[in-house]
Amino acid sequence: MTFAIEALELSHAYETAAVLRSVSFRVSAGDYFVIIGPNGSGKTTLLRLAAGLLKVQTGRLEVSGLPVQRFRRRELARTVALVPQAGPFEFPFRVAEFVLMGRAPHQGILGLESPRDLRIAREAMGFTGVEHLAGRRMDRLSGGERQRVIIARAVCQQPRLILLDEPTSFLDLAHQAQIMDLMEQLRQENGVTVVMVSHDVNLASMYGSRLLLLAGGRILAEGKPEDVIDADLLEKAYGCRLLVDRTPATGARRVTPLPKEALGRQPPIRAIDSFK
Amino acid sequence: MKAKAPFFILLSAIFVLLPVSPAKPSSVPEMRTVTDQLGRRIQLPANPRRIVALAESVTEIVFAVGRGDRLVGTTRFADYPEAALRIPRIGSYIQLDIERIAALKPDLCIGTRDGNPKAAIERLEALGIPVYISNPMGLESILQGITEIGALLRAEEAAAALATDLRRRIERVAEAVQRSETRPQVFFQIGVDPIVSAGRGTFIHELIEAAGGVNAAGEAAGYPKYSPEHLVRLAPEVVVITTMARGADFDAVRNEWLRWPRIPAVRDGRVHVVDAAVFNRPAPRLVEGLEILVRLIHPEASDLKP
Amino acid sequence: MTPVPIKGILRVKAILLPVLAAAAFLGVAMGPGGGDPGTLIRSLAGVPLEDAVLEDIFWKIRLPRVLLAALTGSALSLGGLVFQALLRNPLAEPYILGVSGGAAIGAILGILLGLARFPWGSLTAFAGGMATVGLLLLMSSWKTGLGKDALLLSGVMINAFCGAVILFLVSVTPDARLFNILSWLMGDLSLAAMEQVKLLAIVTVLCATALFGLSHVMNLFLLGRDTAQSLGVRLGVMTAILLTITSFMVGVTVSICGLLGFVGLVMPHLMRLSFGPDHRVLVPACILSGAAYMILCDLLARILPAQGEMPVGVVTALVGAPAFIFLLRRAAR
Repeated sequence: MTFAIEALELSHAYETAAVLRSVSFRVSAGDYFVIIGPNGSGKTTLLRLAAGLLKVQTGRLEVSGLPVQRFRRRELARTVALVPQAGPFEFPFRVAEFVLMGRAPHQGILGLESPRDLRIAREAMGFTGVEHLAGRRMDRLSGGERQRVIIARAVCQQPRLILLDEPTSFLDLAHQAQIMDLMEQLRQENGVTVVMVSHDVNLASMYGSRLLLLAGGRILAEGKPEDVIDADLLEKAYGCRLLVDRTPATGARRVTPLPKEALGRQPPIRAIDSFK
Repeated sequence: MKAKAPFFILLSAIFVLLPVSPAKPSSVPEMRTVTDQLGRRIQLPANPRRIVALAESVTEIVFAVGRGDRLVGTTRFADYPEAALRIPRIGSYIQLDIERIAALKPDLCIGTRDGNPKAAIERLEALGIPVYISNPMGLESILQGITEIGALLRAEEAAAALATDLRRRIERVAEAVQRSETRPQVFFQIGVDPIVSAGRGTFIHELIEAAGGVNAAGEAAGYPKYSPEHLVRLAPEVVVITTMARGADFDAVRNEWLRWPRIPAVRDGRVHVVDAAVFNRPAPRLVEGLEILVRLIHPEASDLKP
Repeated sequence: MTPVPIKGILRVKAILLPVLAAAAFLGVAMGPGGGDPGTLIRSLAGVPLEDAVLEDIFWKIRLPRVLLAALTGSALSLGGLVFQALLRNPLAEPYILGVSGGAAIGAILGILLGLARFPWGSLTAFAGGMATVGLLLLMSSWKTGLGKDALLLSGVMINAFCGAVILFLVSVTPDARLFNILSWLMGDLSLAAMEQVKLLAIVTVLCATALFGLSHVMNLFLLGRDTAQSLGVRLGVMTAILLTITSFMVGVTVSICGLLGFVGLVMPHLMRLSFGPDHRVLVPACILSGAAYMILCDLLARILPAQGEMPVGVVTALVGAPAFIFLLRRAAR
C-alpha cells in the first residue's frame, strides 16, 4: 500500500541545531493528519520537508511512494499543495488572479489560462465560498476570507495531499471551525489527504483522524486522538499542567491549560526541549 | 499574447519611415582637399564663409588672422578678443552641441585633437560638415597651425605676418635667456585644491624651459598633483600661480605659500600670480605668456618690451 | 470570468501607445537647433522645408536620439520591474544590485585603455556588468543565514565596492580623459547614432520578449519563495535566467548611455499603481511608459538649459524623485 507520506528515521538540523531527531511515521491516504506540539518542536520543519522546500538530510521521506527529492518541481506541485503561514502581501493581486495562479503546475511556462483552468478556479472559489470576492484585492480581505482564498488556490492545484501550516492561527472562532470543516469536506468529497500543523490541540482532537505529537524534535506519540490526547503525554510535551476531559457535544477529548491558582501545591513540570 | 506586436510595428514603422536625406542645395561651392594636422584628408569649400570654432583657442587664432567676422559659432568660454563674446555658443569644447552646430549651417568646423570628443567629430562629418582638426603640441606646431588655418581661410598674408612676428618675439626671449647664467627651478601651479602643476609634454613645460627655467614638475608627465610635503622637498626658486577658476582669491592662494618660508621662492619673494587665459590656450597669446614668464624668471633681462 | 490579462494589455496599449507616439513626435520636433511640430509634420508629409538643415536635424540627429532614449527607457524600466519581482522588494532596481556599478567600471577601464566608447567601450562595460551578476549569483548561493535578503544585501555590498573602485579609477585618470568619464557617468544620449540604436534595439527586443514570456513566472515569484516553489517554480534556475536576461539588457544599455537612475524605480511603480501587479500587463506597460518617459526627460535635458545640455541622468532624478514621493502618498490612502 502506498502511503501519502512515509517518513523513516528522518532527521534535520539547521547549522548545528538539531530540529528533527530520527522521526518515523506514516500518513495514509485520506487521513486527516494533525501534527501538534509546542513551539520549536520541529512541526513546521517537518511540513516544509514534506513540501519539498527543504532538502532531506538524513533518513527517508516519501510522498505517494516516491522519495520527495526525486520529484521534479512541477510534478510535486501537482501532487502536494502547501498552505503556508499567513504572510504580508506587498503586491496585492485580485482574488480571482490569485486563485488562478494555483493552476500554475498544470500550465506551460507562459501561464496561458485555458477555459478549463478558469472553470476549475471558479469551482474552487465556490467550494470555499469566496466567489463573491473575486474582484477584491487580497489586502482588503479579512483573515478568514484570506485563508479561504488561499485554500481555494491550493485546491486549484488538484493535489492529492494538502499541507497546512497553522491555518487557524489568526482566525476568530467562527472561521476556525469553517476552515477545519472545509478540510473535512475536501477529504470526504475528493479523497484528499490533509496534513495540518496546528497549535490548537482541541481542534486537532475534534477533527483529526490521526494525530502526531512532536516535542524537542522527537515523536512522543502517534495515533488516534483518543490515544494521543493524554494528560501525561501532553504535560511532558508542553511542560505545564493540563486538564484533559471530554467535550460534551462530540465526546472528543478536550484539553484545558490550568492557571496557576488551580495548580495549588503541584510541582512544576520540566518541559522536554531536547534529549541530550 | 500579441501585445508585443504593436511595439514591433512602431519600431519597424520608424525604421521604414527613415527618409533618405534630401539632396544638397543646387549651388555647390568650389571645393578643395587639404590635410589637417592629424593627417586626415578633408574636403572643404575653397573659401569658407561660415566657420564654427570648436575650441576657444581656435577662436583666438581665427580672429588673429583677421577672419573673425566669418565665425558663426564658438565654444562657451570664448572671451578673447572681446568681439568673440557676441558670437553664438555651441556648447563647450568637451561637450559639443551637434544640433546647434548643424543649425548654424557651417561650411567648416575647426577643432583640436585634445578635448573635442572623437565621437562628436564623427557625428558632424556624418552630417556632411567638414571638420579640420589641429593638433597643437607646442609653440612650433601652434605657429604651423596659424599658417595652415590662414591658408584654410584665405588669409595667408595676415597669417604669415602674425607667424613672423610671433617667431621674432620668441627669438628675442631665447636671446635673453642665452644671456643669463642661471636656470632657476620654477613651479607652475595651475590648480588650487588640490595643487596641480604641469609636467612633461604640456605647453607650460615648454614655456618654462623656453623662458630659461627648469620645470620643478618636469619629472612627471601630464598634470601631477602635489602635497605641501612634496613642495617643501622640491624647494622651487620661482612660483607662478594661475588658476582657471574665475573669481578665485589669488591673494589667499599666494598666502598659502607663505606658510612655508623655507621654500626659496617664498623666502625671496618670488611668488607671482598671473592671468590664466594666456597660458592655457594654444593660441598666439601663448607667446605673451612666454614673455611674462621670462620676465618673472629672469628679471635681469628687463630690456624686453612688455 | 474573462481572462484577465488580455483586457489589461489592451488597456495598456490604448493608453500608452498614443502617449509614446506623442512623446516621440515632440522629441523629434523640438530642440536647441530649432524646429516645431508644424515643421515636423510638413517634413513627414514630404514637403521640402525652407530651412533645409532642419531635415538633417530631425532625421539624422534627433531621430536616432529619440529612438535611443526610447530603447533605454524601456530596458531600464523593465530591469526595475524584474528586479522588484525577483527580490519581492519595491525598492529594488538594477543599480541596487550592482549591475550598473560593474558596467561603469568596465566602461571606465575601456576609456582608460583608449578604446572608443562604441562599440568596444560597450563591450568592456557589458563584461563588467555580467561579471558583477556572476559574483552576485555566487555570493547569494553561499549558505548564509540571510535568507531572501541575501541577494539584496550582496548587491548593495557589491555596488558600494564598485563605487569605491570607480572613485579610485577617476582619481588616477589623466585629466584629459576625466571629462569623458564624468559625462558618461552622468548619462549621455547626445552622441546617439544609428549603429547604437540598432544594437540596443536587437538586444532590447529579444530580452523584452523573453521577459514577457516569463511574466507568469514573475507573478508567481511575488507570492513568496515558499508558495512559488510549491506551485512548481524552480527558484534557482528561474532566478538565474531572469537575472541574466535582465542584466544583459541593462548592461548593454548602461554601457551605451551611461548611468540613468530612477527610471527603473519610478516607472514600474507608476505602472503597478495604474494597472495592477500582473506582470503580463506590466511588461508591455513598462516598455511603453519607460520609453515615453526617457524621451521626455531627454527632451527636457536638451531644451531647458540656456546653454549646452543638462545630463539626462540629472533630469530623470529630478523628475523621478518627487514623482515617486507623490505616488507613495497617494497609494497610502
